[in-house]
Amino acid sequence: MTVFALIIINKAGGLVYNRTFYEGGLQKISTNDLLVLAGTFHGVHAITSRLSPVKPAQAQAQATPPTQQPPGLLTRPEPPSGLEVLETENFRLQCFNTMTGTKFLLFTDTTQANVDVVMRRVYEMYSDYVMKNPFYQLEMPIRCDMFDRKLSSYIREINNR
Amino acid sequence: MVIYSFYIFDRHTECIYSKKWLPPSAEGNPTGPSTFPTTNGAPHRHYNGNKASDDAKLIFGTVFSLRNMVRKLGGEDDAFIAYRTAQYKLHFYETASNLRLVMLTDTSAPSMRNVLHQIYINLWVEFVVKNPLSPAEHKGGDGVRNELFEYGLDQFIRGIM
Repeated sequence: MTVFALIIINKAGGLVYNRTFYEGGLQKISTNDLLVLAGTFHGVHAITSRLSPVKPAQAQAQATPPTQQPPGLLTRPEPPSGLEVLETENFRLQCFNTMTGTKFLLFTDTTQANVDVVMRRVYEMYSDYVMKNPFYQLEMPIRCDMFDRKLSSYIREINNR
Repeated sequence: MVIYSFYIFDRHTECIYSKKWLPPSAEGNPTGPSTFPTTNGAPHRHYNGNKASDDAKLIFGTVFSLRNMVRKLGGEDDAFIAYRTAQYKLHFYETASNLRLVMLTDTSAPSMRNVLHQIYINLWVEFVVKNPLSPAEHKGGDGVRNELFEYGLDQFIRGIM
């Protein structure tokens, strides 16, 4: 089980955080390329949410029969989600899109299980040490020592397991 | 497992074949028969307002961007296999001659890489490449829409579903 890297993309598609935890997992790429990559991913993510071949209402109707829904409850279907998991031969990419449009990209090896748990913990750390930091400016690159340290120790624990 | 659609793109980035196995209700036609009709080629509109040809372009753009992104991150030998959203899963297979096969399935589908590979060797090579009447370049889908290929593909997909 190895977590290779973490990338955070803000709601405008800009790269705000980039951290490599395991050398040799992914190729080394320049910061410039990484910025381009973050922007590209942002666009691709938006397209993938528009490509759904089935009607959202139909998908929901299959999941829960309409008779079981309490009357008066708004039956608005879930908004279509974009790319969540990307699999390749050498790595696996898990993407978590928050309600505000911030994207967390976690690169792991192909056999990594329970990435959801790791992602959730990373998001908690982000909320605790970045969003609650009074000096952090929204949508700007994340430079928070506390976040860096907590993240490092958490991921190190996973990678050494 | 449900297979929604299948696309082939040639090395000139053109969509040379597309086929859908969508239930009629998913195409905004609730009064249609309940069997799965095979629709292809016709520029019908989806529920999301996309024309079939627009969908093909969006899908090509997505897989092309993701493939380049994956190559940059995972090395030149890495290949993009599949991605998943909450609504669907997209499988991708690229041959050495840059022919790209794309398949959209439901989210619970296992890896379809071998299926796409089988389509390539058993149907594409047999019925399109080895067909003496088929042109070398399939501009606008020339030579791909032959009876044997279409029938073989439909049988093969229905066998999996």
